[in-house]
Amino acid sequence: MTELALKTAAPPASSYMLDFWRKLNKNRMGLVGLGMLVVITLVAIFAPAISPYDPSSTSGVGASDIYQPPSAEHLFGTDDAGTDVFTNFIYGSRVSLTVGFFAAFISIAVGGALGIIAGFFGGRWENFIMRLTDVMLVIPDLPLIVVIVALTKPGLLNIIFVIGLIGWTTTARVVRSQTLAVKSRKFVLRARAIGAGRGHIIWRHILPLVMPILVVQAVLVVSLAVLNESTLAFLGLSDPTKVSWGQMLNYAFGRGAMSTGAWWALVAPGFGIVWVVLGLTLLGQGLEQVLNPRLDTHHLMPGRPNVKKEAEVRSDNAKLVLEVRNLSVDYISEGKPPAHAIENVGFTLKQGELLGLVGESGCGKTTLMLGLLRLLPQAGQVVNGSVFFGGKDLTMLSEEEMNTIRWSGISIIFQGAMNALNPVRTVSDQIGEAITKHMPSFPKEKLQGRITELLDLVGIASDHKDSFPHQYSGGMRQRAMIAMALACNPQVVIADEPTTALDVMVQAQILELLSELRRKLGLAVIFVTHDLGVVAEMCDRVLVMYGGVTAEYANVDTVYNDARHPYTQELLKAFPDLTKPKKKLSSIPGYPPRLDALPPGCRFAPRCPAAFERCQIEQPAIHAVAGDSNHVASCHLVEATK
Amino acid sequence: MDRFQNLLRRIGWAVLTIAFVIVLNFFLFRILPGDPARAGVHDPRLKKDAVEAIRVRFGLDKPVINCFDSLNPIKVGNCGVNPLDTQFFIYVKNLFIGEMGFSYHTNRPVTDILVERLWNTVLLIGAGQILSVIIGVLFGILAAWKARTSIDYSALTISLLVWSLPTFWLGIILLFWGSANGFPIGGKATPGMSSMPLSVRWGDIAQHMILPTITYTLVYMGEYMLIMRSSLLDVLSEDYILTAKAKGLSVFQILRDHALKNAMLPLVTVIAINLGFTVAGAIQIESVFSWPGLGGAIFEAVNRRDFPVLQGAFLLIAVAVIAANLIADLTYTYLDPRVKME
Repeated sequence: MTELALKTAAPPASSYMLDFWRKLNKNRMGLVGLGMLVVITLVAIFAPAISPYDPSSTSGVGASDIYQPPSAEHLFGTDDAGTDVFTNFIYGSRVSLTVGFFAAFISIAVGGALGIIAGFFGGRWENFIMRLTDVMLVIPDLPLIVVIVALTKPGLLNIIFVIGLIGWTTTARVVRSQTLAVKSRKFVLRARAIGAGRGHIIWRHILPLVMPILVVQAVLVVSLAVLNESTLAFLGLSDPTKVSWGQMLNYAFGRGAMSTGAWWALVAPGFGIVWVVLGLTLLGQGLEQVLNPRLDTHHLMPGRPNVKKEAEVRSDNAKLVLEVRNLSVDYISEGKPPAHAIENVGFTLKQGELLGLVGESGCGKTTLMLGLLRLLPQAGQVVNGSVFFGGKDLTMLSEEEMNTIRWSGISIIFQGAMNALNPVRTVSDQIGEAITKHMPSFPKEKLQGRITELLDLVGIASDHKDSFPHQYSGGMRQRAMIAMALACNPQVVIADEPTTALDVMVQAQILELLSELRRKLGLAVIFVTHDLGVVAEMCDRVLVMYGGVTAEYANVDTVYNDARHPYTQELLKAFPDLTKPKKKLSSIPGYPPRLDALPPGCRFAPRCPAAFERCQIEQPAIHAVAGDSNHVASCHLVEATK
Repeated sequence: MDRFQNLLRRIGWAVLTIAFVIVLNFFLFRILPGDPARAGVHDPRLKKDAVEAIRVRFGLDKPVINCFDSLNPIKVGNCGVNPLDTQFFIYVKNLFIGEMGFSYHTNRPVTDILVERLWNTVLLIGAGQILSVIIGVLFGILAAWKARTSIDYSALTISLLVWSLPTFWLGIILLFWGSANGFPIGGKATPGMSSMPLSVRWGDIAQHMILPTITYTLVYMGEYMLIMRSSLLDVLSEDYILTAKAKGLSVFQILRDHALKNAMLPLVTVIAINLGFTVAGAIQIESVFSWPGLGGAIFEAVNRRDFPVLQGAFLLIAVAVIAANLIADLTYTYLDPRVKME
């Protein structure tokens, strides 16, 4: 709730509400709720015109008029005093809405003011207000309201003030945190720097940004006020001169509607309350969705089935641990053409080989890795290609079969282990879990020993074994993640930018560790990174990706000395070389293409210094470079040199 | 050590809040025209010496607090009074020995009335709370797991609908339906049951509990479902769930071992904050079903203008809610390893 999706610069005060309104117009739930409220408000306003009888015409009714069932004369029947339930129902809406809106207005004004004061001024004021809020928050609302109204006279004004003055607490809390978030925005700081007055800043800069959240809060507070009012009336605390829904229920319930079976006297007023509260709830939900749009997707949603294809035969090279052939991944979102995130990427991995996967952010490196492990988010779909591992095509396996290969065959170290470990389980517990899952026969009494051994391998002392992830430093967490990745003796480990967000010293340690483990355990490693220096130092082969396609794929020496793809060449130019300290560094202007706006020809053409006409229209195929069977590049220039 | 300090701080705040409620309760019933004795004193039929006798009996002849004989702030009273001999001190002292005055209606000690009713409320709230949490959590898990499917949308619709139902009205409708279908029409037990064997009596009570508990469960499960759903959705989009999936764990294992505990944690706080609303629900349900609990006591006290009972019931409820909040707070600290460290 604290952070709004509004991140524009200095605001013209009204534009937020306008924008808000426009988005709400597209939200079906919110509109239905709003419609329900408009209807009942109109009913309340035009009550005298709609209702068939005068609300006060109770006199002159005989005993035979009491609790008459619905008829043409009395649409909703009559009540215990012989008055028309429909008329009372119409007039009852007035009290509910009056109390609801005015009480909520008081709550919102008080809570909003206190929240802004606490958030904006801070210090002693904030302390006092928030403590008061904490105290008020745990005192149960309704009993307090009942007590105060029972002690004073239950007049309409009284009820409005009591409900209003007790219901401000949550508003104050919400507004305070929003004010705190807004206060540090650039335009507010700028306004303060040029010496704008506090009142001006609050009025022109803070309030417009707090407003949307205040609106959502108001809707909630109105519904609570309506419920509180009707409950009070049902308990017998209502203005006797004004008919309200709760009061109708109080009379009907207390005066024999149950025993006479007069359901109409009970159903009609309740329906009114439900109508108003449901309308408000729907509107509130709609507003909330507009303010905090969430995609409602998560990692456990069933992925899209891979596109059906004929089984392929793997190549007959026994040394290959992993072979990815022509893998293509699309991202599919409703109402848009599929975005081709990965197209026809292929590579092989021998035992003990270290493959570097490089490219700028957004070039599909992570998608490729998730795709081959079939861990793509719900929108992702493998549309072509195969992944051969252990004699099987992983794209053809069932989810259960896939689960046996994950971690025990191919494990992955995610970028930013900060959140990759479960915060509420100990590190040893999370490592042990992988072992028991994939090696059910592993002797229980040796499990702790094995975990210690694994942590020892990555340099974590065994007395930190049973700590929680947040008790670890960033580097330790990353190492724990590596230990976990090794737990089931996999043949392939994917390290997806394992050192981003770590400081240089720790980076070096982690990298050292990885290459040492590779030597010791004979692992094949796929190392995803943008650091060409690391690649030069550690890797055997390099796959350069650009815009979801293979740019160049070759041995590491070839890439550094004989790069053929202009993108690789530009990347190398952007990278300092210690042997040529006088060399000028240059960066590549522009950004990788967006997936929903891929260029028609070569994906690198818009940024390529060597692009010619053909590059703008035709996407280059992957060509073998003459004279080197291990070197491919997707560039029209390479084809030309053949 | 940190944990111990934390514990002390929280208990300190709870005690302070209770003190605030006691003071509030004292002054509310003296500022507002509801003072039991004063109401009696104003009865024109009483003779002067009888009025004086009542004032002495209720201690109204004593100053309210130091420097104030009455609650008229302009009229400064004697500041040299023994503070132990003021109305406020006597009120607080009486509270400590569990003395809350006498019912206006039955003339029984308020404490006795409330204590026997407290357990009935605990029984009802306990059953309803447990059921609504279980059902709400189960549906919440289902809705989050099957997010954006028809299961999810129906669960959402149902919870928004039940959330919008006024508790007392739902109770009335269920009672209306139940009384025509052989359910007991209210109360806690059928009259004349006291001579029956224990098992029969308990069965009878259980029967009386069915409808109130259903009302309670329906009203509160919607909210728990919504919270569980959004909390679980948050957890399921965390990186560590992807890790768990990459580890080859099945969907069931991930839900059980990696998602549920994390998603349940916020729920503990919500259940605690909800206790205040829960009491509001209890007042309504007990009023409809004539359940002899604290909420029912409030309903009756309001209708009979029985202020001592109202005052006592409010205090007891407030203290119970504050205590329950404290317990939930401490439970949360215990459950979440991240809080422990702070």
